[in-house]
Amino acid sequence: MNEWVFDSLPPAPESRRHDRRSWFGWRISQITRLGIKSIFSHGLRSMLTVLGIVIGVAAVIAMLAVSEGASFEAQQQFRDLGANNILVKSVKPVEVEETSRLGFGPPQAIVYGLTHADIQTIRDTIPSVSNVISSRIVKKNVWNLGNSMNVDVVGTAVDYPVSRNYGLLGGRFFSDSEMRDHENVVVLSQEAADALFPIENPLGQSIRIDSDYYDVVGIMESEGFSNLGQNQAGASNSAPARVFIPLTSSRSRFGETTTRQTAGGMESETVELHEAVIQVDDQESVIGIGEVIEQILTRRHRDVDYTIEIPLALLRQAEESALRDQIVAGAIAGISLLVGGIGIMNIMLASVTERTREIGIRRALGARKADIITQFLVEAVILSAVGGLIGVVLGITIPFFISTFWGMTTIVTPVAPILAFSISAMIGVIFGIYPSMRAADMDPVEALRHE
Amino acid sequence: MPALQASTENATRPPGQKTRVASVADVSKTYYMGTLAVEVLHGISLDFYGGDYISIMGPSGCGKSTLMNILGCLDRPTTGTYYLGGEDTSELKDDELSLIRGARLGFIFQSYNLIQQLDVLENIEMPLFYQGFSQAYSHRAAYQLAERVGLADRIHHKPYELSGGQQQRVAIARALAMDPLIILADEPTGNLDSRSGMEILDLFDELHEAGKTLILVTHSDELAERTSRRIRLLDGRVEQDERMGV
Repeated sequence: MNEWVFDSLPPAPESRRHDRRSWFGWRISQITRLGIKSIFSHGLRSMLTVLGIVIGVAAVIAMLAVSEGASFEAQQQFRDLGANNILVKSVKPVEVEETSRLGFGPPQAIVYGLTHADIQTIRDTIPSVSNVISSRIVKKNVWNLGNSMNVDVVGTAVDYPVSRNYGLLGGRFFSDSEMRDHENVVVLSQEAADALFPIENPLGQSIRIDSDYYDVVGIMESEGFSNLGQNQAGASNSAPARVFIPLTSSRSRFGETTTRQTAGGMESETVELHEAVIQVDDQESVIGIGEVIEQILTRRHRDVDYTIEIPLALLRQAEESALRDQIVAGAIAGISLLVGGIGIMNIMLASVTERTREIGIRRALGARKADIITQFLVEAVILSAVGGLIGVVLGITIPFFISTFWGMTTIVTPVAPILAFSISAMIGVIFGIYPSMRAADMDPVEALRHE
Repeated sequence: MPALQASTENATRPPGQKTRVASVADVSKTYYMGTLAVEVLHGISLDFYGGDYISIMGPSGCGKSTLMNILGCLDRPTTGTYYLGGEDTSELKDDELSLIRGARLGFIFQSYNLIQQLDVLENIEMPLFYQGFSQAYSHRAAYQLAERVGLADRIHHKPYELSGGQQQRVAIARALAMDPLIILADEPTGNLDSRSGMEILDLFDELHEAGKTLILVTHSDELAERTSRRIRLLDGRVEQDERMGV
């Protein structure tokens, strides 16, 4: 059979795929270049095709950024209010407001809110309550020579800064002995300190409230979160600055009754305590104890003249709504990526039909089915990856605009864009497989005959 | 050896030529259109020898294209065997067939069949690309081939920027890229004016002189006249198989 021996023959085809590594690189770069060319030769068509992917990816990233921002805010709030705390505040009940308006004659003092007795009952009934910091908040003008400022004068306990995670900027908070002796000492918030003492150091100076002088012993750092002031009766939209004096001093200097000017005239109200921070030993039992406190207060109060806030419950709520957001984002992503994927499949099928002849030529020149599959798959992936990339850019830009124009906190975590982009590339693979297989399965003879 | 020689000793064997590059043995092809079976080739047997210059002629529907597709490993015979370079192609898998097409066969089509998005050089190096040659080698080889067909100054032109004759020369260069056993040309001058057709035929003559094996499928007597072996098909059978100018 030496008739079949050919001196000049090339070696068997299989062995000719030498230098595999560099060839692989060449092939991928060739195929990629070709894919990009064919996508850009149909610019508009390609853009419309990837729109689904763009919208899907952008929506997911933006939604996750918004929900991430919301849960960050909730956690911030949670940290400020304290994990083991329950906040009880006095609120003027609606019925009382109405009855006071109906009457003639001198204004009567409205009595509402938390009392020392309430707090004592809570302390006595619930053993795991470790500490209660009660405060009275009275609106006053404070003076330093010619500088004056309308502030909330908070009469409170020694533990106030600890319970609310507030730090001191300078000086100290008032002490137990000053509390016991009804001393005239004051701790300024940073805002108050800046307004009253624009130049000199307030420590060691004194300020005047009504006719009494108070020694400034400390300055608190700025309150990040001061919704306590906002819920306080008569508070304006922006929480006024606060100064802190011992609760005992507040009672002996200002009494239990406060009078304030409203649009309708003078109005008096008697509020023993405006707020109380109830600290609990164990974070696990905070929500349960909150319910117990509610029961106690319901029994002791005729009107609902209090609110109970549990930071942990707020956090749980925020977490729940974040989870809901994420599920919604996931659903939007799923739907639009599915639609986008179908779009890509559609356009790839069109492209395969259009390029039937090219497929035939390539097959005749030695392309294996796998080569054809690779070519069309790479094209589908490029298409969806371009969509994904545009989507990522949009998805990062949109939260930026949201936080600029609506003032919402938005946080783009690096995970979201990376995940969304990889999913979009995967969509290209998944929805590119069928068209590519169809291209590869074409009969070369038929394909070459195709016009 | 004597037994084999007896079987292959026939008029189609060129004098002094020993190597048989391909042969079809009792090949038939049947197409099925629904329930209707159409037999296009009826048991054709042919041997092809190295360095031969062959034309296959015949009226439309005589089965030349089908034979061409079988010779080009684009299609498989229904019965019978096609040997290419000593290999029984009916045994080969699709991938192996693809590699063989790229490595051992060169195709030249009536409508050139160049890929429009690629330039001349990239078109020429495509068979090398699919065989797994390095980029550097392929570029070098493709450039030499472009030079050989007289298109060294057009290597970065796209096919649509070239005349028909030039495009066909690119196709010829592409067919030569892997130095195949057989170059198959299907009506290579069918789309060309007579002058560029002549130029292409001159190029074929050159290739023949250089020892390449060419099989041309054509209607044109003018083209067939240049070849040294003329095969005529009629209704799926070999009607005539003659060697000229011996």
